[in-house]
Amino acid sequence: MAALRGEVSWFCCGTAWGPCGSAGGGACGTCRSGNYQHAWPNTSDACLAITRPHACGITGMSRRGCGFRHYTTNLCNGARIGTTIADCGPQTDLFCGERTCCGSACGSNRIIDLTPAAYSVIASLSTGLRPCSVDTV
Amino acid sequence: MDQTLDRRRLLATAALGGVVGATALGSLAPEAAFAAEATAVAPGAPDPNFAEGRISKISGSMLLVTGSDTVLHSIRITDGTSIWKLHPTTFDRVAVGDGLYARGVRLPDGTLAADSVWVNIVNLHGHVAAVGRNVLHLDHKGQRILAHVVPGRSAAVYNGTPAVSDMSLLRVGRHVQVLGAWHPDTNEIDIATVYAAA
Repeated sequence: MAALRGEVSWFCCGTAWGPCGSAGGGACGTCRSGNYQHAWPNTSDACLAITRPHACGITGMSRRGCGFRHYTTNLCNGARIGTTIADCGPQTDLFCGERTCCGSACGSNRIIDLTPAAYSVIASLSTGLRPCSVDTV
Repeated sequence: MDQTLDRRRLLATAALGGVVGATALGSLAPEAAFAAEATAVAPGAPDPNFAEGRISKISGSMLLVTGSDTVLHSIRITDGTSIWKLHPTTFDRVAVGDGLYARGVRLPDGTLAADSVWVNIVNLHGHVAAVGRNVLHLDHKGQRILAHVVPGRSAAVYNGTPAVSDMSLLRVGRHVQVLGAWHPDTNEIDIATVYAAA
């Protein structure tokens, strides 16, 4: 898979406090906020029917199943993290055309959500959204 | 890498009672600080340098935290720890009952010397069910969430445009992502940033 450029955010899963308490283990049943994991929009036909990245014109988003490794790079600082698929998401089509930049480094459309443990390695949780690239090596 | 090692040594020193000021760790810009982090954790595995849970006790500069999985964490706040609770804040604003995520360095005694602590932070998706005066009613996974607009703090980002304080473009039925701070033991949050779809 060629590196895919877009936006990365974070989500909670597993046992959790507050509004996250209802999150559960995700589509794979293994998701934990403290693990290096992520949600991917194309884990199955059913998942793709919900996330619909093609509605935003995204091509080249490979079908990958639970446990597959992706590597996400924060384009604001070059920090990189390896994670495995634990859930279906983000719901890309709900934010079609959204664009996030750090100076001239930009990403459009939501392509991956990281757990808090993973996102906080490459950015502060308080940033909420960052431009990123995602690859498999 | 040298920068990372220096920073970790400084944190550990601070946690162990060394004289370290915020300026010693503050030489790194926020994004650069995260870029400087090194990690040897395998994809999919739990990160020993990360903790989450609710604060059960505060003793001096130590937070005793009960993880959502019931694991207990001792988290040391140092002069160099950055604390977020709706906005960057100070240790005295942290309270028993607060939820948190923390990242730092795990010391040999199991204590986590915190680099960053995010208190009550939530990042929710939902639909706008109603809009009131300085409040959004959100449907979030079947739950109703009251999201308060905090004058002078809350901001809206409309489909990637620069953040503004004007919430008037938020519409009932639209999808939003809300980054904010939870009010412990309630269904209410304060809004830091609301991201609205086009």
